Amino acid sequence: MEKGFVENGFIINLSNSKNTNQLVYELSNIMEHPDVRGKHVCLKLGGIDLKQSQLLSIKALIEATDADIAFIDTVSEQTVAAATSLGIVISKMNDEIQHENVVSETPEGEPVVVKEELITEEVPAESSEDSEEIKETENTEDNQKVVEVSADIETSQYSSPNPINTIEGVEDTFTEMSEHELSEIIPSEHFENEFERLAASEGLISNDEISKYILLDTGEVLPQGAEEHSSDTKELPTLYLNQTLRSGQTVTYEGNILIIGDAHPGSEIIAEGDITVWGILGGIAHAGSKGNITSKVRALKLNAIQLRIAGLYARRNDTLNVPYVQKTNEFTPEEAQIEEGKIVIYKKLRRD
Amino acid sequence: MTGRVIVITSGKGGVGKTTTSANIGTALAKEGYKVVLIDTDLGLRNLDLLLGLENRIVYTIVDVIEERCKLKQALVKDKKNPNLSLLAAAQTRDKSAVNAEQLKEICNKLKQKNDFVLVDCPAGIEQGFQNAIAGASEAVVVTTPEMSAIRDADRIIGLLNTKEEITSTRLLLNRVRPNLIKNNEMMSVDDVVGILEIPLVGIIPEDTGIITSTNKGEPIVNDESSLAGQAYRNVAKRILGEEVPFLDLDEPKGLMARIKNVFAKLKAKV
Repeated sequence: MEKGFVENGFIINLSNSKNTNQLVYELSNIMEHPDVRGKHVCLKLGGIDLKQSQLLSIKALIEATDADIAFIDTVSEQTVAAATSLGIVISKMNDEIQHENVVSETPEGEPVVVKEELITEEVPAESSEDSEEIKETENTEDNQKVVEVSADIETSQYSSPNPINTIEGVEDTFTEMSEHELSEIIPSEHFENEFERLAASEGLISNDEISKYILLDTGEVLPQGAEEHSSDTKELPTLYLNQTLRSGQTVTYEGNILIIGDAHPGSEIIAEGDITVWGILGGIAHAGSKGNITSKVRALKLNAIQLRIAGLYARRNDTLNVPYVQKTNEFTPEEAQIEEGKIVIYKKLRRD
Repeated sequence: MTGRVIVITSGKGGVGKTTTSANIGTALAKEGYKVVLIDTDLGLRNLDLLLGLENRIVYTIVDVIEERCKLKQALVKDKKNPNLSLLAAAQTRDKSAVNAEQLKEICNKLKQKNDFVLVDCPAGIEQGFQNAIAGASEAVVVTTPEMSAIRDADRIIGLLNTKEEITSTRLLLNRVRPNLIKNNEMMSVDDVVGILEIPLVGIIPEDTGIITSTNKGEPIVNDESSLAGQAYRNVAKRILGEEVPFLDLDEPKGLMARIKNVFAKLKAKV
């Protein structure tokens, strides 16, 4: 077994986290600690399953404090796959820590810092017996020897007055979540309030909405003479279309538009009321084209290049600037509407 | 200041007009010049995709012409380079939405405030082509070393020559594959120049990186390691009047010698 060494390393043990939510919460608490700045973080993730997008966000969170991920230690296959695709090193912690390198106690329940750490490179498990053995020794000795770095939510004195600085790209990374994401993000009771506050201040996530679009400008897409108003779109007539809208095709209607089919990139849907696409919306959609701010845009997949509602417009993030739409059999319907002067997209898991 | 209006055209489709426009535009902007790219391929616009600006387009050239917005509003700034902006074509209209006079006026307005106005021309020789060349004073004809593309390029050069306003027409040979030329399976650079008889402004090697760059919306000139990117940067320098030797396209001796030969021939003709 070859031994590696991470200089200026810092172990964060999150293997006790029960879900992604708790993990992100603890991690963000730990990352606020000044000792973490500029460190090479070794993440112990235990058995928790992380998707690529989640791991990417965690990476962004860590990199926001000038630190970086040296390697991660996980037993989850999904996490391993995600890490591999992101180019993050996967490795196993060595139990035999040189004691002089360990700062084992800090007062007042603050996160404990392991300054430097010996690690061993992951050895591809050639026989299952071998890998089991490694696990066993880890399990027994781990808790005693490795100093755990975790922010205990209940007892920790260390709570952050300031939210973590958001870095560019953090929002972007979270928007790439798959449809499954939401059920996993919904916080457990224990963390709910704190997590929501934190996530909201980060602009990272919230439990049932993901603001996917950056608002660029206001008031400009409204044609001359039109004024903002709010009227009930239920009262308007509806145009029913059962076809696929292709690039270059435009549908304009003085009421609601319902399309059964996809709207391909390059198409335009302009309605004075709501726009509903039973399919993938990939083109431009302008709801409330005459200024009705209560209009909504909804689709099985909102992948619109641009969303316009009344006088507001929002463009798709550049990181999502994929020229094609990936078709899947699983969709989470999404709905966009104006909220406090911004276009907000909701993923609808259930009808409320 | 009066900028130069350069039309990038080819006759045949799919030879790389739009890729060339995006890359020369980006390269010129990187050199510090103010550049506007105009996509005149109404109804089949692509230039915005290549630059990764599709999601930023609110107004198009048709909106400008039909006076729904000001020219300045319709110019989309590049993500990276503030010197570069794009005037996008309308996707939902066709060529008849614009006429030559209107485009000429837009070009004239734009060249007041920019060093370069690059016009990406649609394929064909109909209205769209006539519109695109209306405001231009220079032309870059893009072709590939294939008989059909060369035939069309020849036709285009003939049409361009009848336009008095266009004072310079230069050739950009795209998708050159040196190993095929070596085996006599592809027309060589001097064969093509021999047929078309216009000065060469660049030779771009075939590069699979172009495909990725197109899909990512990131012009290949931004990739310092790419040979095609280097070739496009050289084209930009030649447009700026610098004398840059043509790239050695990974072919021992022969090609450079041949290109030099071409130039010797050309000089002899001039």
